[in-house]
Amino acid sequence: MLPASLDEAVDALAATPAAVPVAGATDLMEAVNAGRLRPAALVGLGRITELRGWRYEDGGTAVLGAGLTHARMDRPDFAALIPALADAARTAGPPQVRNVGTLGGNIVTAAPAGDTLPVLTALEASVTLARAGASREVPVSHLLTGLDPVRPGELLTWVRVPLLHAPQVFLKATGRSGPARATASVALVLDPARRAVRCAVGAVAPVPLRPLEAEAWVAGCIDWDGSREIDPAATAAFGEYVAAACVPDSYGAEGAWEAVTEGPSAAAVRLRRTVSVLARRALGRALK
Amino acid sequence: MTSPTDIGAALQQDGGEGGAPEPFGLGSSPLRSDALPKALGIYPYAADLWAEGLLWGAVLRSPHPHARIRGIDTSAALALPGVHAVVTAADLPPGPDGGPDGAPAGPIVADRPVLAAGVVRHHGEPIAAVAADHPDTARLAVGLIAVDYEPLEAVTDPEQAFTAPALHPDGNLFRHLPLRTGDPDAVGEIVVEGLYQVGRQDPAPLGAEAGLAVPRPDGGVELHLSSTDPHGDRDRTAACLGLEPDRVRLVVTGVPGATTDREDISFQVTLALLALRTGRPVKMTLTREESFQTHTSRHPALLRYRHHADAEGTLVKVEAQILLDGGAYADVSAEALAAATAFSVGPYVCPNVFVDAWAVRTNNPPAGRMRGEGALQACFAYESQLDQLAARLGVDPVEIRRRNAMATGDPMPTGQAVTCPAPVGALLEAVAAEPLPALPVDDPDAEWLLPGGPGGAGDPAAVRRGIGYAVGMVHMLGAEGEDEVSTATVRVSGDHATVICAAVDSGQGFATLARQIVQTVLGVSEVYIAPADSDQSIAGPSARGRHTWVSGGAVERAALMVRHQLLQPIAANFGMSVELLQIADGKITSYDGVLGMPVAEALEGKELWATAQCRPHPTEPLDESGQGDAFVSIAFCAMRAVVDVDIELGAVRVVEMTVAQDVGRALNPRQIEDRIEAGVAQGVGLALLEDLRTEGGVLQNPSLTGYRLPTALDTPEVRIAALLEERDVVATFGAKAVSAVPAVVAPAAVAAAVRAATGLPVGRLPIRPEDAVAV
Repeated sequence: MLPASLDEAVDALAATPAAVPVAGATDLMEAVNAGRLRPAALVGLGRITELRGWRYEDGGTAVLGAGLTHARMDRPDFAALIPALADAARTAGPPQVRNVGTLGGNIVTAAPAGDTLPVLTALEASVTLARAGASREVPVSHLLTGLDPVRPGELLTWVRVPLLHAPQVFLKATGRSGPARATASVALVLDPARRAVRCAVGAVAPVPLRPLEAEAWVAGCIDWDGSREIDPAATAAFGEYVAAACVPDSYGAEGAWEAVTEGPSAAAVRLRRTVSVLARRALGRALK
Repeated sequence: MTSPTDIGAALQQDGGEGGAPEPFGLGSSPLRSDALPKALGIYPYAADLWAEGLLWGAVLRSPHPHARIRGIDTSAALALPGVHAVVTAADLPPGPDGGPDGAPAGPIVADRPVLAAGVVRHHGEPIAAVAADHPDTARLAVGLIAVDYEPLEAVTDPEQAFTAPALHPDGNLFRHLPLRTGDPDAVGEIVVEGLYQVGRQDPAPLGAEAGLAVPRPDGGVELHLSSTDPHGDRDRTAACLGLEPDRVRLVVTGVPGATTDREDISFQVTLALLALRTGRPVKMTLTREESFQTHTSRHPALLRYRHHADAEGTLVKVEAQILLDGGAYADVSAEALAAATAFSVGPYVCPNVFVDAWAVRTNNPPAGRMRGEGALQACFAYESQLDQLAARLGVDPVEIRRRNAMATGDPMPTGQAVTCPAPVGALLEAVAAEPLPALPVDDPDAEWLLPGGPGGAGDPAAVRRGIGYAVGMVHMLGAEGEDEVSTATVRVSGDHATVICAAVDSGQGFATLARQIVQTVLGVSEVYIAPADSDQSIAGPSARGRHTWVSGGAVERAALMVRHQLLQPIAANFGMSVELLQIADGKITSYDGVLGMPVAEALEGKELWATAQCRPHPTEPLDESGQGDAFVSIAFCAMRAVVDVDIELGAVRVVEMTVAQDVGRALNPRQIEDRIEAGVAQGVGLALLEDLRTEGGVLQNPSLTGYRLPTALDTPEVRIAALLEERDVVATFGAKAVSAVPAVVAPAAVAAAVRAATGLPVGRLPIRPEDAVAV
């Protein structure tokens, strides 16, 4: 099925609830080729041009189409709006994947290492799930954690992102120079209006994690009225704080209980070091 | 966007068909004849083959690394509509005791069953195969085959293999090779020790295994495969099927990447068996995951070294223990072990050497041939040891190598004198003399690619630069008494020549070279290279850099015989001997330049044929103390690696690799540079990225996402400092093989550079980010 508009797509899904919506297909076809998935039907979203752009709402929110490709999000006009999302899109994969892979697809696949997910989590974005005759708004974090999943017949159409007009950073560690899956990633955004720092750590857990206490603590260390300076020691401490909050002692260990009594596992120590460096650098860049 | 025709036009211009004359003969760099179709995507590979009425094959593989098969029930699979045949070990010729034994085969030792009979010994071992009218039906049928497994304990640690119960009737030890030379009691003033580990590198060819089998009316079968050893593969296939070799014909299709033996025997025998059973053409293409499971990888290794040196850093004694994990089946483990042992000291002179080396069987995936097998693992260890020695003495790493460097005529620890050119010192000088790449501080305005890649987390304040050196060696051609021979036929008809030789151009460029040889000898510019198949006379496998020497030699001799036939009547006419005539620029001229005629005119209306063989001088096996003239010739290479390391995250980027290589004679300089770049890329991959991980014998990352091959961003600038042309007098044209040695040396050089940047010991390849964190 190749609907030409959003309404047609929603109707098609209502008519065939078993159908799988497909946009860039970079994740879907991999699963099909490997024999893990055999969809009964596909609803191609490629012709729905309205989903491939974005619009503004109430002055403070950008409403992004789910069909925005990573390549599109990497362009300067978009990067000026939501820099961290552009950073994530730029490093999401090789050009062939970024040219067709979409924002909506990245959210729905919800891979632990999905690059846009920590950014959307840090931005506290929400998504619109449309179905025939109705639609609802769900925070991205609720969708990812499974608190409020996509229901049969629903189509992810829009992603609502607040425009913060302040520095944002996305950093990922991959262990190589070429495009690769993150071993850990950190998204950090400043929200000067609310005097808040919001941070999310990706790839270390099935969903991006928010170190809320570390965020609140570091927000208090920043001189918001002046030049937004911070003591370098506080930046370093923030890194440690984030790492300790997001990587449990038992990370990578087989018997969780045993590991806790013996202190952090070797894998946890390594991952904490990586997350801590990423968080420290991210904060440093945001406040530069 | 550039259209394909534009690219084609550009390539053709580059090839010189437009204006400038096309490069001609040896020493020039003509474009590969398959470059254009490959660039345009129209070059046919095995996966593109088609036959009318073909069936699709699929294979059932073991999910266990070690298990007894109590029973196989194929009835549900056979009952599935569209399924034409299901085969198991019982369908292959019976073993010596009358029961099915899976028709074991293998390159040196026949110990690897085509389809598992009774026992599976590695994850992904083939058990049964299906032919059906649709690929999905075939895979569905595979899922319906019920196998009753009794899982057995898997031996996955090679050190456990010595004491573990035998995994195979042949035992767990493929080979133990001791090497003893000199005084065992010699002691140096300085002693450095190290333990080194090398992970599992996979050849990961771009195209997965694919092939088409067509039954023949005489009861035989024709196989279309991207084989790199058509005759060997034909003979092994025929033996496994119980057919005479003449009833199996193997046609070589386009080879989609090969740095190893290309097809595995199980794949091609199964394919042939399905075609014979159904009487219809059968096509099979493996998935990426199956490809990782079935083809052989590089031997993971554990090397323990102790170097003794005097106060000046001159080597006194080297002691080593080398353990290669050969995986479930022998393959070429014995040969890899010989290389690791013989080259255990590297291109250095040391009077006292005591090495024990073992290759053992485990339940890990089988290891086999891959550029510089054995030599690579040893190179990482001995070069790491020399770095340690240099650090201990406070001497420059280049200086310590220079002091110990081998030269022509020096003995190897095996007692064999290195009679070929061994310009180790000159190679070192050449790389050390090259200018270093600029540092970011020298050019702050340029956008620097930091470790971690563009848009990555790199922070210039945490980046340290390191420079490392390594030298290495690898043997060419078969070793230890293997009969090396190749046959070629050259035919000249009118104004063009044809070369018929079963040497497969697996991408290494043999076809281009054969064309250049004939052009040089006969002065004919149009040279056609016939596609290889097993009905031609034998040329042997494309491995160990042998085709330049052996098949190149055969082509040269055949061309010379044709030349003689061509010149003889002309010489008689001119009243002089054939030796006084020369062919150059398309003309035959006498020694004094007075008499002459164009080649085209001399050839008119003639059809000249000649067939010749080339067989280099024989070698002998290593004896019980590792002594013997085991190798035909040896190639050397020196490298300098420059790396940037983010010492907080452990991300490494190789900035530049400078290479000086001993090539004997540069027959096609551009092609040599391509081969060096390919070797460097593969070596950098092993050094930093590539590791086929297993957990209890089960592959963890059999995909191109999980198994990280170097991308363009991971591959460094390759600077060729020198292609040293000191001719090897016994080699064809004096040229040495060029492909393997860069892959052997690059990992050691990268490790040395990371060591220099971080101050960490770096005893393991690939270097993981956590091994390069220095804070």
